Amino acid sequence: MKKRILAGILAVSMVGALLTGCGKGASQSADAAPAAGTEEAAEAADGTETATTERAQANEIVIGIAQDLDQSLDPHYAVAAGTKEVMFNVFEGLVKYDPNGDTIPAVASEVEVSDDGLVYTFTLRDGVKFHNGDNVDLDDVIYSIQRCKDDPKVNPQTSTGLQCIESLEKDGDNKLVMTLSEPNTELMSLLTLAILPADYDKQDTAPIGTGPYKYIGRTAQESVELERFADYWGTPANIDKVTYKVNEKAEGLIMGLESGALDLVSHLSSTQVAELNKDDFNIEQGTMNLVQALYLNNEAAPFDNELVRQALCYAVDRQGILDMAFDGYGFLIGSNVFPAFTKYFDESLTDYYTLETPEAGKEKAKELLAEAGYPNGFDMVITVPSNYAPHCDTAEVIAEQLKEVGINATLKKVEWESWVSDTYAGRNFQATVIGLTADPLTARSLLERFTTAQRVEDAEGNRGNNFINYNNADYDALFEKAVKTYDDEEQTKIYKEMEKNLTEHAASVYIQDMADMVAVRKGLSGLTFYPLYVLDVSTLKWN
Amino acid sequence: MKYVVRRILALIITMIMVSFLAFAAFHIISGDPARAILGMNATESQLKVLRQEMGLDKPFMVQYLNWLIGFFTGNLGISYSYRQPVSELIAPKLKVTLLMVLISFVIIIVCSVPLGLRAAQKSRGRLEWLRTTIIQLCMAVPAFFLSILVSYVFGIIFKFFTPGDFPKIEKDLAGAVKYLFFAAVCIAIPRIAMAVRMLKSTLIEEMEKDYVRTAISRGNDRTEVLKKHVLKNSLVPTITFLGQTMAEIVGGSIVVEQVFGIPGMGRFLVASISNRDYPVVEALVVILAFWVILSGTLADLINQKIDPRLKLGGRA
Repeated sequence: MKKRILAGILAVSMVGALLTGCGKGASQSADAAPAAGTEEAAEAADGTETATTERAQANEIVIGIAQDLDQSLDPHYAVAAGTKEVMFNVFEGLVKYDPNGDTIPAVASEVEVSDDGLVYTFTLRDGVKFHNGDNVDLDDVIYSIQRCKDDPKVNPQTSTGLQCIESLEKDGDNKLVMTLSEPNTELMSLLTLAILPADYDKQDTAPIGTGPYKYIGRTAQESVELERFADYWGTPANIDKVTYKVNEKAEGLIMGLESGALDLVSHLSSTQVAELNKDDFNIEQGTMNLVQALYLNNEAAPFDNELVRQALCYAVDRQGILDMAFDGYGFLIGSNVFPAFTKYFDESLTDYYTLETPEAGKEKAKELLAEAGYPNGFDMVITVPSNYAPHCDTAEVIAEQLKEVGINATLKKVEWESWVSDTYAGRNFQATVIGLTADPLTARSLLERFTTAQRVEDAEGNRGNNFINYNNADYDALFEKAVKTYDDEEQTKIYKEMEKNLTEHAASVYIQDMADMVAVRKGLSGLTFYPLYVLDVSTLKWN
Repeated sequence: MKYVVRRILALIITMIMVSFLAFAAFHIISGDPARAILGMNATESQLKVLRQEMGLDKPFMVQYLNWLIGFFTGNLGISYSYRQPVSELIAPKLKVTLLMVLISFVIIIVCSVPLGLRAAQKSRGRLEWLRTTIIQLCMAVPAFFLSILVSYVFGIIFKFFTPGDFPKIEKDLAGAVKYLFFAAVCIAIPRIAMAVRMLKSTLIEEMEKDYVRTAISRGNDRTEVLKKHVLKNSLVPTITFLGQTMAEIVGGSIVVEQVFGIPGMGRFLVASISNRDYPVVEALVVILAFWVILSGTLADLINQKIDPRLKLGGRA
């Protein structure tokens, strides 16, 4: 008898679970059945409130992240955007970025630049301490800059930029005189490089910086812990303890938010945030700060033909992509700069290839294809990294759109590591959808990559990062001119001309900067967006 | 005794072969661990330095032999992605997964044996269609879906546990066990369904044998016969099945760990494969191989104890 009851209970509970599960999901997505929905919502709100109030009272926060940190936490070596996003709170340079992307004094309190732009005098801020309690002195600063300039393991875009530094000299106890061999308008962005204690050799596992938070520890693939740094020189952070929890599955992150285990998750998609209960969370919308494009290999047929590339620009309906794959969120672009980088973003390029209707665009595309000798279209392969759902979705929509002009595009999904070695480094592809970021945040880091110098091998057999093999003499000349121009306004103008060059010659099909949805638990405020891939925890606080 | 020695030898050889195949597979698929670490902007010279540091510039066989020697001397190497000794990294994850698998195994045994008996007894009952449907449903439901369902229903609606907030085993064992219980249920349900179905058909087959008919015709109670004789005779295939289950639930744990956010071995394996973290993957693969072979061997040894006739097979 007992067994029958047991079996019965099991069966009923399982069927019950199935029904509740499905019912709940359906009512949420369709926003139907308001009565039942509110009841459940109220119940959920009660439960999660206790969980978070506890954390709010303890002044702690748990943030969900989708990938673990780099193997080395040394900020000069770190490469993964996800690592920088977390460690932004731990490290600072002589200067640091403000929410507009401009540099403001940090470890240095003042900067004086000589009229010829060759001598920079930094005044060290009084009372800046490392997380180990030591005072920051000039030796630490010189060590940090020298290391970024000379160490071969440092991000080449940073170390190349710093080569213009001729000498670093102390002037008294608190002044650093930096002499350059030639003026460099992007020096300040580079000097956001982290100031580290001189000759401390455990940076990779136990990092020490000067930022508002200090690093406490990590458990592989589980969590990373930070703690408020009490001796921070500036406005102290509000929240005492920050725990990052790693979960590679977006479903797991969403579940963690709903259960009360997590308070904040960034980089969610519009569909994912739609699942969340709006009584518990505020959804804030920022930008991902990247250039998402259908990058075309300019050396691979038929994309070695400019007409074909232009045809693709006309054929791809970018608003259609946003509507189909991103619920209409996202910011259209027309060249290799994202909109949040306002100084260099040229809005007039956005609609360069947009005609009155998508149909007109398709007609134009067909004309161009015929002119290029492909009246019946062609077959092509779009390689996409399978771990990036937004890029895969985009490629899928593009493939559909291209069918209408007779181009038969097939998707080839590859693992991220294969994408990096074969597609990106090996340049073995026809077309690919990816998002490029700016690191450091300079126009140069976004635009230098399309020059010939970055396309061909150098004397040591190194190949730069012009992975689309863009080849344009005017572009190269403009870049030469830009780096030799020391007037900021003049230089900005040249960089904008370079952007225009990319657009006019249809280097690739530029699509959008993706919307960055951040779910923030109610009661938590102060989220600040930067034109960088970072999350500033120091401004967050529980109300 | 000879049999045991032979099994152990087979175990070691299989493990070496598996580790070699895993190592070779890594060299065939594209993706370079140095590039995985240094990212998109790495230069050739940077890569070269790192490859040298990690010993990746050596020929394939040298790399493998170095690893093998390290393995037998108890040195599993240093993880590429964490710069920590592999053994230190794996130990806590192994503990979590092992605990989860054991809980899951207990659930499977506790549920499937009585349910299977019942199903065999009632196989001609009116509700047979319902039972078959439920069993089919449980077998077909993907672990991914089941995990989301269970976390949603028991975690978010009923709040029996907090999905995404796995307590550390060292600090809160009871909490960890409770959390793992729900994950273990997700792994167990499909296997329970399979076990019930298997048990049912084995029992029914056995029930139709002559000795059962004789026993019943001699006036023994049907249920008594089923419990005392039939069940004992059906034990061998059941234990073999449980051995397989033991091996397979480790595989089932990968998806479940991801959805529940449990820091276990399965999740670590997946992440290490995509990071091209050979030392970790190699160690995990060898552990998994060991586990699979061990489950099979244990089942065989138990079966021999139960049914000495099976020993004859061992000699062939």
